[in-house]
Amino acid sequence: MLKEHKRNRRRQEHFHGAAAMDFYACQSEIRHWNGCYKVVSAVLVLLLCIILDTYLVSVFIIISVGALNIIGNGIGFRNYLALLRVPIGFLFLASMAVALGISAETAGDWSISLHWFWLYVTKAGLARALELFLKALAAVSAMYYMALSTPAGELASVLQRMHMPRLLAELMHMIYRFIFILSENHRAMKTAAVSRLGDADFKTSCTAFGQIGGNLLVLSLKKANAYYDAMVSRGYEGEFTFWEEEKPLKKWQILALVCYLAVLILLWMAEKL
Amino acid sequence: MREEILRVQHLTYEYEPGHPAIEDISLSIGKGEKVAVMGANGAGKSTFFLNLNGVLQAEKGEIFYQGRQIGRKDLRNLRRHVGFVFQDADNQMIASTVEAEVAFGPVNLKLSRQEVKERIDQALDYMNLQSYRKRPPHDLSGGEKKRVSIADILAMKTDIILFDEPAAALDPFSAEMLEQVLSDLSKEGKTLLISTHDVDFAYRWAERVLVFDQGKLAADGKTLEIFLQEQVLQQAHLKKPEMLKIYEILLERGMVYEQSYPRYAGELANCLGGTVYGE
Repeated sequence: MLKEHKRNRRRQEHFHGAAAMDFYACQSEIRHWNGCYKVVSAVLVLLLCIILDTYLVSVFIIISVGALNIIGNGIGFRNYLALLRVPIGFLFLASMAVALGISAETAGDWSISLHWFWLYVTKAGLARALELFLKALAAVSAMYYMALSTPAGELASVLQRMHMPRLLAELMHMIYRFIFILSENHRAMKTAAVSRLGDADFKTSCTAFGQIGGNLLVLSLKKANAYYDAMVSRGYEGEFTFWEEEKPLKKWQILALVCYLAVLILLWMAEKL
Repeated sequence: MREEILRVQHLTYEYEPGHPAIEDISLSIGKGEKVAVMGANGAGKSTFFLNLNGVLQAEKGEIFYQGRQIGRKDLRNLRRHVGFVFQDADNQMIASTVEAEVAFGPVNLKLSRQEVKERIDQALDYMNLQSYRKRPPHDLSGGEKKRVSIADILAMKTDIILFDEPAAALDPFSAEMLEQVLSDLSKEGKTLLISTHDVDFAYRWAERVLVFDQGKLAADGKTLEIFLQEQVLQQAHLKKPEMLKIYEILLERGMVYEQSYPRYAGELANCLGGTVYGE
């Protein structure tokens, strides 16, 4: 068990960004939940978060969905924070832009002179920025719940079942596979370039980058042909049909979702009334 | 004499007009035969396989499966009987999990859900991949990917399986495991055609060797007969198997007397044993 855990830790260190999300989704403890249920519940929470629009609801979603992501998806607190680092950074900068004002003379509740102009904030502006920050973070948490528990391939299948155009779903499948194939090749090419001093200075780095890009384009075209041949050889006739594991929806899951949504509405009422 | 399962007559395929990748290939494959297809890079081995599987359709020539000619409309049917394990497993993997990947062929065969499920289980058991079934293909090592790519074809339950350089880029342990799988499949009566550069493996495993040279069938015969023809080996840029070389040296030095060319180290040891201790 410990060995497996250590192995997983080592493996996850190799993944970043989208690949890390997919890695966690494949390892998720709630991966066996019905895919449609996960997508619908995430979207409903997202919608309520936007519609209800209160501090309490947003904070509750951040904490409860965060707990589900950490415990339910088995990610761990530190890894979850690491995944949230980029969106939090982005949201913080965006909220700052909402909170801060620029004026030719001193204004607002607090201000600071920057020689040519004044930067100021008002209490109302800060409150608006905080509200926006929390609401957006709650929405991101809801989407993370979906992304961290549903691998991209399964997500494409769910969207296809929800009547997304077949072409888009198939493209999602192909892109999903190609991202990993091309990123693996890119990594190998980059290592090969670096091993031959391809990053000696800025100029050689740029040249190596351009050449790797060009090679990847040619490689992707070749791979696409090989991929097509392999599909045809196994009976592909112009339409993807993937095997999907049966994941029956359980009554307690529906009940839990209804209760959760009811709690959100009650919190909204408690804050508004 | 084996019952014929596949026959090609005057098969020619050109990627570009005037430059045939394979030219005028005629041969017959017996049911349950173990055939090694050899030749230098670009000799036409992969193109030949793609034609046998029906992915490519030759401009000239005919393919017969169990005596029935395969026409343009029957290519789909041909793929039901002839499976193809590609050289690069990454090019073969489409689905997002190992389980869905193995199911891709059976699902395309329009089998019932229960039948597909059974075939997935059988193929994963056969290749010892049950613990990998929920893993995404990109999360596997090279050897594991190769095993999945073989399970893909096993799940289709084809009578003939074509392997395009299956041991390429495999570590010795994975290569040994692959060889065991090939032996097991052969015992189960599957007809196996393997494209390989590994003369030692071909000598050990195959009962028949096809040698391709510049798109043409340069030689076709029993394994030992082919490997004893120096001229054919030179023409196709092939080397003599090490086992054969050692045996010939020993024979030349009078250390073995029997003319029973050994395939395995044990057989060679037996030849020596008879000489040293028997005399």
